[in-house]
Amino acid sequence: MLSALSKLFRNTLFRLSLLGAVFFVVALIIALGNVYFLTISSEIRQVDKSLTEEVKEFQTLLDEGGLIPVSREIFLRSGSGDRHYLLTSRNQNGDDMVMGSLGEQIVTLKNQEKAVLGEVGGQGFTKVDFILVIPATDTAPSSERRMRGLSGYLQIDGRNVAAIVASRDVEVTMRTAERVKNAIWTSSAIALILGLISSWFVSRKFTQRVEAFNRLATDVRAGQLDRRAPRNYSEDEMDLLAEHLNDMLDHIDRLMKAMRYAGDSIAHDLRSPLTRLRTRLETAAADIENPDAKQTLFSAADDADELLKTFDSVLRIARLEAGERREMLSVIDPKPLLDDIAELYEPACEDRGLTFTSAIEAGHMISADRGLMSQAVSNLVENAIKYTPKGGAIHLSLLKNKEGRTEFSIVDNGPGIPATSRQRVKERFVRLDASRSEPGSGLGLALVDAIADLHRANFILEDGRSSDDGKRPGLAARFVFPRVRKQKSAAPSSALAQASRKAAE
Amino acid sequence: MRILVVEDDDIAAEYVRKGLMEAGHVVDLAPDGELGLEMARAADYDALVLDRMLPKRDGLSVLEEMRKDGDATPVLILSALGEVDQKVEGLRAGGDDYLAKPYSFTELLARVEAIGRRSDPTAAVTKLKCADLEMDLLARTVRRGDKKILLQPREFRLLECLMRNAGRVVTRTMLLEKVWDYHFDPQTNVIDVHISRLRGKIDKEFEEPLLHTVRGAGYRLQV
Repeated sequence: MLSALSKLFRNTLFRLSLLGAVFFVVALIIALGNVYFLTISSEIRQVDKSLTEEVKEFQTLLDEGGLIPVSREIFLRSGSGDRHYLLTSRNQNGDDMVMGSLGEQIVTLKNQEKAVLGEVGGQGFTKVDFILVIPATDTAPSSERRMRGLSGYLQIDGRNVAAIVASRDVEVTMRTAERVKNAIWTSSAIALILGLISSWFVSRKFTQRVEAFNRLATDVRAGQLDRRAPRNYSEDEMDLLAEHLNDMLDHIDRLMKAMRYAGDSIAHDLRSPLTRLRTRLETAAADIENPDAKQTLFSAADDADELLKTFDSVLRIARLEAGERREMLSVIDPKPLLDDIAELYEPACEDRGLTFTSAIEAGHMISADRGLMSQAVSNLVENAIKYTPKGGAIHLSLLKNKEGRTEFSIVDNGPGIPATSRQRVKERFVRLDASRSEPGSGLGLALVDAIADLHRANFILEDGRSSDDGKRPGLAARFVFPRVRKQKSAAPSSALAQASRKAAE
Repeated sequence: MRILVVEDDDIAAEYVRKGLMEAGHVVDLAPDGELGLEMARAADYDALVLDRMLPKRDGLSVLEEMRKDGDATPVLILSALGEVDQKVEGLRAGGDDYLAKPYSFTELLARVEAIGRRSDPTAAVTKLKCADLEMDLLARTVRRGDKKILLQPREFRLLECLMRNAGRVVTRTMLLEKVWDYHFDPQTNVIDVHISRLRGKIDKEFEEPLLHTVRGAGYRLQV
């Protein structure tokens, strides 16, 4: 679940469209906020304004005729529509006079410190929000109304004469405000969720198309040059990309076919005359009496062999690189394969004064072609034999490494390969100066590299066992295989083994 | 043996014929697939050397046609197409062995003689014998004269291959293919080392050597 989420967040298009959705929601909040400001809040401001004017009116009345006209006005206005008042004052006898509709009802003030009743002193007017509780009557249950008021003192000659609260019932406005606020939050939330869903959908759609390209690239790299990108002919940019990719693949396919055809015909055309040449030399060698001439003719025949072998190797590498044989891979335990190699080379090593050891574990399955893998290991062991001086040691091992991947390695304590040349020696016909005196075509490691590539294995060259006080770093050739995913029951490579075994009997 | 060579390259065919005749065989030549098939049907050959790329009818189709008729004549497929998959294809089509061009004639001769029809069918053989060297295929034991010889499993198979072809040359490539099932040529002399070990066991303490090296060709087990 978490990994699926993190994968979704890694998707470029998802992130982009999500960003778009977030921008949209922010814009929505700003727009609706503006609506709120222009309607509800301006209504409240209107209320405040009319309250201020009313209070001024009372003050004017007080200035002109004392408390009586004020109380009369309050009495008249009180309770009409949404207006409620409270006027308190203390006369010379010390009796409190309370009047106005607020006095008859229980008043709950939101902010206690702004209570106006009974407090003398202070100046100016304050805005107060409070709740008016209307007691239950015969016809209606008790109700609470939100009020907006202005409270303060009426003054004569700078002396507080009476405290006054003028207020309006704003319950309806407040309810509308609440509804608008709710509407803002819900619509934003819905927009955000829709944005998330659409981002996910868009990215999935897009990813599917990109995935198709990725699969195509993988398949083509695996040698299936006949694969093409799917098109929907909408001529959108993805479709055009598909078209261009397909054109490119057609072109590559044509070139590959031309190359293979040329290679095959060269192979064929060269082999027949070379076979004749070889046979002629052989026959001539058999007929001739002079031993020197005989030797020369035999050597010439060997040279013809060498020529063709090199040519064969080049062709084989090209074919391996094209991935033609990948479908021949089957899941095998490489132990018998390596045991065979060990058994084949152990005596040869001993003959040359080399110590050959092996540690081959069983049960580490890999997807491989037995024949090709044998050839690769054989090439590496032969390289080790060729370059390790007398008294040296070669070690062949098969194990599961720390990453849980099957790996086999051929380690020697010979001269090694300088780190700077390790990549280069995997190329065709590359021979290091030190090896020029040895026989060989410079194709051995190139072939091994091509075989590794076909198996999607990493072919790594490193320092091996150092010897001679570090003067010889040795060489370790490692094959690290990818994890085997699915079991393939078909084993086409063993068909060859069976067929040739049949032929042997 | 009576051998039919189906090969369109006149010069190569002529050399093969000359070589096989010198080795004591009777050889007929067919220059194309149609004629090759006709001749194979008409006469009873001990072995066929069949090129894959032939005019009129290609080698594999000739082979398939023969096998369809129930003709079990051993066939050595010869071809410029030396890739392993193509070998498999050839062997699956009913070929008994496959040789890629360019081949050395000794290799061809050794292989033709190895697949050629023998007087007694090898399937029934449980014991192999060459002079005083005896191999029991069921008990997996080897003895020479009175002396029992202990062999490693691989040495046993190596000797078995040589004994089955006793008197004939077996090339290094053939040994690699038949004993190790490797279809590539190692650069080093690995086979020679194994042969010399085997020689140490079967020949060392005896007066007459049986395992001979044939220069430029391979090995032969012979008195």
